[in-house]
Amino acid sequence: MLSNINEYLASDIEKTLGKDRISVIESTDPVSIKISTSDLIPLLNLLKSNKLYDFKTLIDIFGVDYPSNSKRFEVNYSLLSIKHNYRVNLKIEVAEDEEVPSIVGMYNAAGWFEREVWDMYGVKFTGNSDLRRILTDYEFEGHPLRKDFPLTGHKEVRYDFEKKKIEYKDITLTQEYRNFDFKSPWKGTQYKIQKEPEKTEEKQ
Amino acid sequence: MTKKEITINFGAQYSVTQGVLKLILEMDGEVIQKVDPHIGLLHRGTEKLIEHKTYLQAVPYFDRLDYVSPMSQEHAFALAVEKLLKCDVPIRAQYIRVLFSELTRISNHCLNVSSNAIAVGTTTPSQWLSEQREKIMQFYEEVSGSRMHANYFRPGGVAQDLPEGLLERIEKFTHGFVKTLADVEGLLNENRIWKQRLVDIGIVEPQDAIDRAFTGPMLRGSGVPWDLRKARPYDVYDKVLFDIPVGKHGDCYDRYLVRVEEMYQSIRIIKQCINSMPNGAIKTLDCKVSPPPCTEMKESIETMIHHFKLCTEGYSVPGGEVYSAVEAPKGEFGVYLISNGENKPYRCKIRAPGFAHLQALDFIAKGHTLADLTAIIGNLDLTLGEIDR
Amino acid sequence: MDKELNKLEFLDQDSLLTKFNDTISGRGFVLAKLDELVNWARSGSLWAMPFGLSCCALEMTQCAASRHDMERFGMLFRSSPRQSDVMIVAGTLTNKMAPALRKAYDQMAEPRYVISMGSCANGGGCYHYSYSVVRGCDRIVPVDIYVPGCPPTAEALLYGILLLQRKIKRTGIIKKS
Repeated sequence: MLSNINEYLASDIEKTLGKDRISVIESTDPVSIKISTSDLIPLLNLLKSNKLYDFKTLIDIFGVDYPSNSKRFEVNYSLLSIKHNYRVNLKIEVAEDEEVPSIVGMYNAAGWFEREVWDMYGVKFTGNSDLRRILTDYEFEGHPLRKDFPLTGHKEVRYDFEKKKIEYKDITLTQEYRNFDFKSPWKGTQYKIQKEPEKTEEKQ
Repeated sequence: MTKKEITINFGAQYSVTQGVLKLILEMDGEVIQKVDPHIGLLHRGTEKLIEHKTYLQAVPYFDRLDYVSPMSQEHAFALAVEKLLKCDVPIRAQYIRVLFSELTRISNHCLNVSSNAIAVGTTTPSQWLSEQREKIMQFYEEVSGSRMHANYFRPGGVAQDLPEGLLERIEKFTHGFVKTLADVEGLLNENRIWKQRLVDIGIVEPQDAIDRAFTGPMLRGSGVPWDLRKARPYDVYDKVLFDIPVGKHGDCYDRYLVRVEEMYQSIRIIKQCINSMPNGAIKTLDCKVSPPPCTEMKESIETMIHHFKLCTEGYSVPGGEVYSAVEAPKGEFGVYLISNGENKPYRCKIRAPGFAHLQALDFIAKGHTLADLTAIIGNLDLTLGEIDR
Repeated sequence: MDKELNKLEFLDQDSLLTKFNDTISGRGFVLAKLDELVNWARSGSLWAMPFGLSCCALEMTQCAASRHDMERFGMLFRSSPRQSDVMIVAGTLTNKMAPALRKAYDQMAEPRYVISMGSCANGGGCYHYSYSVVRGCDRIVPVDIYVPGCPPTAEALLYGILLLQRKIKRTGIIKKS
């Protein structure tokens, strides 16, 4: 049964959602199923309640950023069936301003995973009443794991001795992040300098 | 008499073992109504940094995630990269990996039992078990050079071979450890105070445990016999004999007993690994992944080029997506690796077991008193390094 | 006897105590420089507040455990900043945690010292280029001793503590205005 589960799954999904609504990617490990955002909740209902699949454990929800795609973000749902010892991965493509229905009502573990995707990528989940930043700082601006967010960020924290409190200031790095991965040794690497060196020389 | 509702900030610096965890508690007198954990106080941006490093440079970041059991994290990453590379790992390396994974499990559970004991109020188990942890850290140092962050399990095998006499020293350690563990059990298991603090506290039913994505001893303590070493064996876990302890009641006491019994089973696995350790290579012979031996490098230009390429650029991993999970001491630690053919990972998502466990703290601790909360947190086996990444 | 007592920093604790007892029982009083006496008392009984943030915290606990035993040097872990002399910042300091660190440091009473343990606390460590890490805890609190390592072994931390004791012994207690 386990070896035929892909076929059962494919035919059951066709019955529930209709033809040509999904695409199965067998090259990934575990098997990935690409669906549209509107099919997410019906498919999860099928996977969770049907005893043949019994995907009762939500292992993870995470996002991936493909800036060159028309729909930039790809949200992945990793599911595990303890009864049948099987894993599956669901993928949905989300544009930058698009919202995804939250699955907190179905899987209690989804709350924090969705908060993390919101924090890291900026994907909003409707129905999640507690959608606030989880990992980054309270007043953090930006979504760090997006590919256009710089590695070092935009602001850093320092203690201001005059004001006697911790403040966010612009970044000053003593040494840029050195990247030795360049195609031609003559051209070298391109550094994005965040601080202009001439200004500090002028101050001196 | 009217009850007063108060909100307490259960400070950022709770216990040295867990790390920085901030809880906002809403209390009704002494009883907890709601727990809101604030995490992110140790968020270091590991996943973003890994996207800018080569695969070999990314291995040390995994050590620093769950710093109580460093080698288990490396194991997950090594397995993920090997799946994408489709390279085979020599049998000796697999045995070494299983041996050190089990030593890591013992080290982790030692620290968990001692910090649980300190949270409840006794300090003797901590003194005894930290000496055992010290011995395990010495084995780490012998094999990798560092007491904690070993950077030992690499994609393709392990970094270096075992030094002479290490297997005999580990065997000697197992004899002493079993005695110490029996002493600790004698102190705690039938102890009236220990039982009063842990029995029937933090009960989790099996359906709730599965629904809230519990894994590891948290899940097995509730009665669900799920262990990745038996369900999806990796390395040589299918060749060693061991049992999986499963709890009955799902309370803190059962989870403690599961962890202690797992330590005994780990000793069993270690003894089998020592007895059947084969000879051979300890990293894959594919020179495009593992650095070739230095003596060969001086004689052949090809090995010189391989060595140069590996040290500067690193190896490129064929494009693909893979999820690899190991049975870390805390639960299922998974790495979802997406590669686009370059020498750097495109996306590396780290699935930490503690994330789901801490999320369920509100569910577990509701209705308990503040004193029970400390016992529950100690029992959940949290390490903020892997939760916050 | 006074000259021998003046050489406080070259004597170890045992011989110092025996000479002290001999002098008291012999003469009935002791003559010593106030500076050195106060510094000896301060350094000999440093109560530490462990500010363990990440991995270095485990090495810190191993330093206090039975093998390395910090307590034979007079050091004790006190969880409250108001009761401690020295704060050991062990681990990576993130932007979110920085206000809490400063608050804990402000609650300590003078004289207070800070030991920065591990490369993350020294200068950001392997997370130096990250968006959410403070590049060294000395951007938030003034640091006396830096202990390098990732993580520094328990022995290295012990050496750092002994260096702090030597630093305290050579500081003067009267502040020059």
